[in-house]
Amino acid sequence: MNGHKLVTVSGETLIDGYTIPAGSWDELIRADGSPQPHVTGLIEALERLGPGALQEAGRRRDAIFMQQGITFEVAGTDGERRDRPFPLDLVPRVLTAQEWTVIKRGLAQRIRALNAFVDDVYHAREIVRAGIVPWSLIVSRPSFQRPVHGIRAPGGVYTHICGCDLVRAGDGSWRVLEDNVRTPSGISYVLENRLAMTRLVPELFAGHRVRPVNNYPSLLLDALRAVAPAGNETPTVVVWTPGPLNGAYFEHAFLAREMGVELVEASDLVVRDAVCYMRTTAGLQRVHTIYRRLDDDFIDPLEFRPDSVLGVPGLVRAYRAGTVAIANAIGTGVADDKAIYHYVPEMIRFYLTEEPILENVKTYLLSDEKVLKYVLERLPELVVKPTAESGGKGVFIGPHASKQELEEEALLIASQPERFIAQELVHLSTVPTETSDGRLAARHVDLRPFAVFGEEIRIVPGGLTRVALKEGSMIVNSSQGGGSKDTWVLDDGEVLEATQAEVDIRQPPRLPDVRYGGWQGQAQQQQQTGGN
Amino acid sequence: MLARIAQELFWLGRDLTRAEHTARMLDGAFHADVAGGPGERGIAISWRGVLAVIGAKPPVPGQEKTDDEPGASVPSLLTLSRREIAPMLTLDTDNPAAVVSCVYRARERARTLRDVISTEMWEALNGFYLALGRYDLEAALATGPYSVYQEVKERCALFWGVLDKTMLRDEARSFLEAGGRIEEADMVLRMLRIAVPAGSLPDNTLDGSTTHEAEALALLQAVGGFQAFRRSVHQVPDLPSVGSFLLYESAYPGSVVAALAELQAALETADQAPRSSPPVLRLGRLIADLELQQRTQQPTGSLIELLAGVQDELGLIDHDIDERYFTIAGIAPVHI
Repeated sequence: MNGHKLVTVSGETLIDGYTIPAGSWDELIRADGSPQPHVTGLIEALERLGPGALQEAGRRRDAIFMQQGITFEVAGTDGERRDRPFPLDLVPRVLTAQEWTVIKRGLAQRIRALNAFVDDVYHAREIVRAGIVPWSLIVSRPSFQRPVHGIRAPGGVYTHICGCDLVRAGDGSWRVLEDNVRTPSGISYVLENRLAMTRLVPELFAGHRVRPVNNYPSLLLDALRAVAPAGNETPTVVVWTPGPLNGAYFEHAFLAREMGVELVEASDLVVRDAVCYMRTTAGLQRVHTIYRRLDDDFIDPLEFRPDSVLGVPGLVRAYRAGTVAIANAIGTGVADDKAIYHYVPEMIRFYLTEEPILENVKTYLLSDEKVLKYVLERLPELVVKPTAESGGKGVFIGPHASKQELEEEALLIASQPERFIAQELVHLSTVPTETSDGRLAARHVDLRPFAVFGEEIRIVPGGLTRVALKEGSMIVNSSQGGGSKDTWVLDDGEVLEATQAEVDIRQPPRLPDVRYGGWQGQAQQQQQTGGN
Repeated sequence: MLARIAQELFWLGRDLTRAEHTARMLDGAFHADVAGGPGERGIAISWRGVLAVIGAKPPVPGQEKTDDEPGASVPSLLTLSRREIAPMLTLDTDNPAAVVSCVYRARERARTLRDVISTEMWEALNGFYLALGRYDLEAALATGPYSVYQEVKERCALFWGVLDKTMLRDEARSFLEAGGRIEEADMVLRMLRIAVPAGSLPDNTLDGSTTHEAEALALLQAVGGFQAFRRSVHQVPDLPSVGSFLLYESAYPGSVVAALAELQAALETADQAPRSSPPVLRLGRLIADLELQQRTQQPTGSLIELLAGVQDELGLIDHDIDERYFTIAGIAPVHI
């Protein structure tokens, strides 16, 4: 990498010789090498642990993850697929309460706008008539779903579960890199990471008050119940998985287990007279809300791909009849399309008449000839993404590309400009991360907070921090060699004050003494009394 | 069978179950402490609560600094912090309430019972004892308490599993199981009592319900019943729902009524004349009382008194068991 600024922390320590890549913001260490003020305690605790204990904890982590089956499949160099423990880095990423408040408000605003957009696209199309988003662009999105035109989702909520990818630029400001309002995954890792951290390195938590994340399943279940079609009975919620071969099956099972609801596959569901049921030992049982974890295209072979064996025939009919809620709603993908992303700040102004709290990364749509020419000239500085791909596939990073790669990419873009978008390169922020020798080095991270939209928008404190484990790499997807970190949102004192008075009164009740019994106890007693 | 043997079997069951529940409780306390809820002071399974479970007394208002209270095995400990409490309740062989002390006692008892219990049971228990001595527990506890408690849970489960497969369903087994079940009911009651705040429980509609949600979660995790609760009760865990689940849910093996029912079954097998046996009769009445309570749906405000009442009654049953089966082992051999 060119132009590293060398920042050295004094002493023979974990972060000895810690180097922050030029142009990046480090979340834990300041440019002068001292810890950020809110994490001094954490850095001290890490130093007390030292490289040896950290590596030892790493070994225990891998063993525990393998035992608990928290793994993902990777293809080895020989092409063989193997289970690897999910790579959790033991150094957490820490956000202050103030930072989190901004993110939380910004996300809630964005999600309200995206939800309004989905509603609008399939109904009145006011944003098109106002000339803000071109209709031709919307209908040409592969994720635009004609069959759900005119269907109003129960409660007017379409984007029940959202995960937006945030990055932090070199000046410390937050930007939204991508929206995900189809089926964002990763929340199970947030919960499992926290659990693992408390078990593996409890020392690190000392002196910090970290906001808990373990109420996510409750939030999710509440939201899924809230959007269920009205009825007298308690709504039945199910999680719908494509099956155990799906890469995220662990998460599907995790969510079903934590919520205490059934994990169903397509063959378990049946639609009769526009009502969805599941097949149980006690006969057909009505299903009110389906949290589906598969793409629109596979959901109903009668309306979408006729060759889908993962779908439930007639489901869209039931959905249209309003007898079942589907989360996320069908057709939401139109809102998180990479080409639509460019318009989100405008959506916020249009639907909410508010100024966006979180900014976009500067994006260029290549359909305009002038823009295309400008982008091709600046290609070595920009990032180019195919609009149809996800998971970091096909992402082209100009500054990291060789001359030949640049030429090939330029040809590709010029031939089909509408398939790509170009973005300014954001130097992702870094966090100290374990390396194989036990020392810490700066690695780039992003942040995916998870929001749940039922009656209101609730966001779990923190989210999934993904980290690129290769030096200098900015691709954080786990399918491309990325890992994850526990994300802490610190509590400031204010929230605590309110509850303190009530809690201080709490004294444990006086319980009866614990008994110790058996022959030995009595024999001893007798020997003593007998000796007198 | 010999009263002495029966008593040893009974207490073997109690000691092992106590070791397991103490380990679960400490693991829960660790997790609640580290993962944080609305602050250490607000969490049900606090370190202070853990001490209360094993019998340390909170200071009575007006006489804060009392010396050794009679019967309190660990006096004036309420000022200690996690750094001291966790090792004390896990590894301190001088402390009879520590997990290792429970296991050592259980193993000593099993040594005198080798002709009664199956060889595989003895080996499971002896292996447990040896495993605890094999590695540096103190270091293991300092770096990762989770793995220590996990081992305790697994070894206990191994013992009961082997028992289920290899031990004759006779009087001996009944006393062993009776001990395990009465201890389980007692420990769950203790944990419930520290988790339920004194006075009345707030309604769910009140604003303070979120803190109690965290407490309820911590409590469920500390008894290991989270998933069972989720599958059985289709609502967000809060203290009233978790409280009645752990007290009344007969389908959950760790609940108080389930433990009491199995205790009753065990005593009925062991007793020569269960129909005139005071502990069995008293137990029958307690179980019927609980069923009445559950079906009449008392206002939640009385939960704390109910728990205290059940525990007192359990103490009397314990006393009756002593009287009926074991005291004969302790009377003087010669009448003077």
